[in-house]
Amino acid sequence: MSGITVLIVDDSSVMRKIVERALRQAGLDLTKVLEAGSGREGLEALGRERADLIVSDINMPGMDGLEFLRQIQSQGLAQGAPVVMITTESGEEHVREALAAGAQGYIRKPFTPDQVRERVLPLLVSA
Amino acid sequence: MSGVRERAAGEPGVVGAFEASLDRAVDEVFSTMLGVACAPATSELRIDGSQISAVIGLAGALSGSLVLRTSGAAAMRMAERMMGIAPPEVDSMVHDAVGEVCNMVAGAWKGFDSTLASGCLLSTPTVVAGTSYELFSQRAPIRIDRSYGFDDRTFAITLSCELDA
Repeated sequence: MSGITVLIVDDSSVMRKIVERALRQAGLDLTKVLEAGSGREGLEALGRERADLIVSDINMPGMDGLEFLRQIQSQGLAQGAPVVMITTESGEEHVREALAAGAQGYIRKPFTPDQVRERVLPLLVSA
Repeated sequence: MSGVRERAAGEPGVVGAFEASLDRAVDEVFSTMLGVACAPATSELRIDGSQISAVIGLAGALSGSLVLRTSGAAAMRMAERMMGIAPPEVDSMVHDAVGEVCNMVAGAWKGFDSTLASGCLLSTPTVVAGTSYELFSQRAPIRIDRSYGFDDRTFAITLSCELDA
């Protein structure tokens, strides 16, 4: 899997780096990593540049991940890129809400590189 | 553990179940995200000098807080384990790392209970650092204090909460 531009949205800079590392360990050849610290910043990033994959936290101050997800769907900013939510929220209701808002995948923190590989790679193949 | 509501709030079984799931959550977070085993420590945490506390608020089916308290040295080791790079000092990245560890522990802990997984919401982490401060919380019917060890470092977690009436 090569030539991927990914947008990682998380209010934690440490978690953004961990997600990037996990994606690389999963076998993705990331040519560009766009980082955003909130949903608002994520929208701005997608307004400037298209991403092949969008990974977002849910629980963030300001615009949270679910609102970010709804906004990129309504504004057509995903442009076919799969959206994967990575979050500490594990309840079925949270998963259903994220999928209903347009997420294609859901990974619970803490996560292993294998879990990232299993959940993300199939989405990029079918995108 | 499933369905904490099946037990009365004051019942000792609730505290025992919360302690067990807290130990399990801490070990899961450390083994998965930090690559190191982490087990309950036999001695109580003592911090001389600067300490760092991360606080996660709990609301909904259960209200209260989960606080992770540690020394600067242990916090730096957590950040190093997570990032693969040793921080030169206790900086914003170290604070961020401690907040995320606390966040993941709270999420994993509530995820072990089917009622709390969906019905209890977590706040974003707040991190406090300094040499002389005290965190106050409302008197809660359930209070759990646990100390943990990893890499010869220790930290403590306090869970103060009450089940929604």
